[in-house]
Amino acid sequence: MPPSSSRPGTVMPPDARVSPEDGAGTGALTVTSMGTVLSIRFGRTVDPAAREAARDAVTRVFGRWDARFSLYRDDSELSRINRGELRLTQASPALRDCYALALDWRDRTDGVFTPHRADGVLDLSGVVKALAIDEAGGALHALGLGDWSLNAGGDVLVAGDQAPGLDWVAGIVDPEDRARTLAVVTLALPLRAVATSGSAERGDHIWSSGNGGASPYRQVSVLARDIVTADVLATAIIAGGEATLNRSTETWPVEVLAVLRDGSLLATPGLRA
Amino acid sequence: MTLAALASVSVVGVGWQLGAQLTASQQTLATSVPAAAIGTAATATGTAATPSAAPSAAPTAAAAAPAAASGTFDGSVVHTRFGPVQVSVTIANGTITEVMALQLTNDGGRSVMISNQAAPILRSEVLAAQSAQVQNVSGATYTTGGYLTSLQAALDAAQF
Repeated sequence: MPPSSSRPGTVMPPDARVSPEDGAGTGALTVTSMGTVLSIRFGRTVDPAAREAARDAVTRVFGRWDARFSLYRDDSELSRINRGELRLTQASPALRDCYALALDWRDRTDGVFTPHRADGVLDLSGVVKALAIDEAGGALHALGLGDWSLNAGGDVLVAGDQAPGLDWVAGIVDPEDRARTLAVVTLALPLRAVATSGSAERGDHIWSSGNGGASPYRQVSVLARDIVTADVLATAIIAGGEATLNRSTETWPVEVLAVLRDGSLLATPGLRA
Repeated sequence: MTLAALASVSVVGVGWQLGAQLTASQQTLATSVPAAAIGTAATATGTAATPSAAPSAAPTAAAAAPAAASGTFDGSVVHTRFGPVQVSVTIANGTITEVMALQLTNDGGRSVMISNQAAPILRSEVLAAQSAQVQNVSGATYTTGGYLTSLQAALDAAQF
């Protein structure tokens, strides 16, 4: 599953700039990790030292997860397990905990979400990014930061306000025109995480465990209380289709926006205007 | 309507995911629903989402228990000419305080709460706002290269 190039046709001018090294303020910090870009924003002015501390903390957290679980790295612990050089029983507690969590989600989704790839590879990427976001959020909290948003490749977790008294607002990208948003959602307690899965950007990276047919959904976004639930369910609904969608909305306190193959939408009541 | 309420309230469910345990819990918990609660169910069901769906199922006898029950109880599925119908009632101290309709999907026979079911919606019906009000964009994972042409990069650059 090599990363594909970006889709053409977006309206961003080629000279649009990222400003990763900006100074104090509430603007975005960016960090490159896990093959994507993390955007860190603050809901109120943070001094330069705190911004750097936040960037370092998030970079460290993501670096640690990537080093252990990346299947793009031959020297990651998970790659060693997949090559048979290391037994699961000899693996680090961090890896075994992660595997256990993935298995829990397999059970909760009736096997639709699974870390066991069809080709026999143990692939924990379905939970690793979300766990890294979660831990990075904890790191920001530990730094005394209470108003921030973390966007890792399209999965967003927020805390506090985007400005005093104002909730964070996230757009959900339109899979048919990535320069546009399909809808906007407020991220505030209790639902402060949103994740979106689809097959448009990275190819069919979701391995269907069901009948093997194409997903009825082109894109699925899930708002949840935590980013792991949001991310896992977005993936599971893509793979499991309508049955998993209905099961998810009746089991977890989530909101879902699904884009069908023909571009039409399904939404839970909380996402209606 | 009275029959529907009786049939529904007499059964207690805890959801599809505990299907195997449903039968057992029906038997143990059904008896804890007091007769007083059953009596008010007839009235309450009149406001349920499917008032015209007269059931053909016979009411299940619910044993009268002396203690007033509290909790949320899912009724059994009643097959009507409109399709399967199921209600959930909330009982506080023997009085029904809320009745909610549960709907059944046609495939699989699982109950789906109408209150949070994803339903078709027009693009004009979703919540929308100017991108200037948005700080983050959620989308299928973009690559490092893909980020450069993403809406998120535009927002980050503009520091909205």
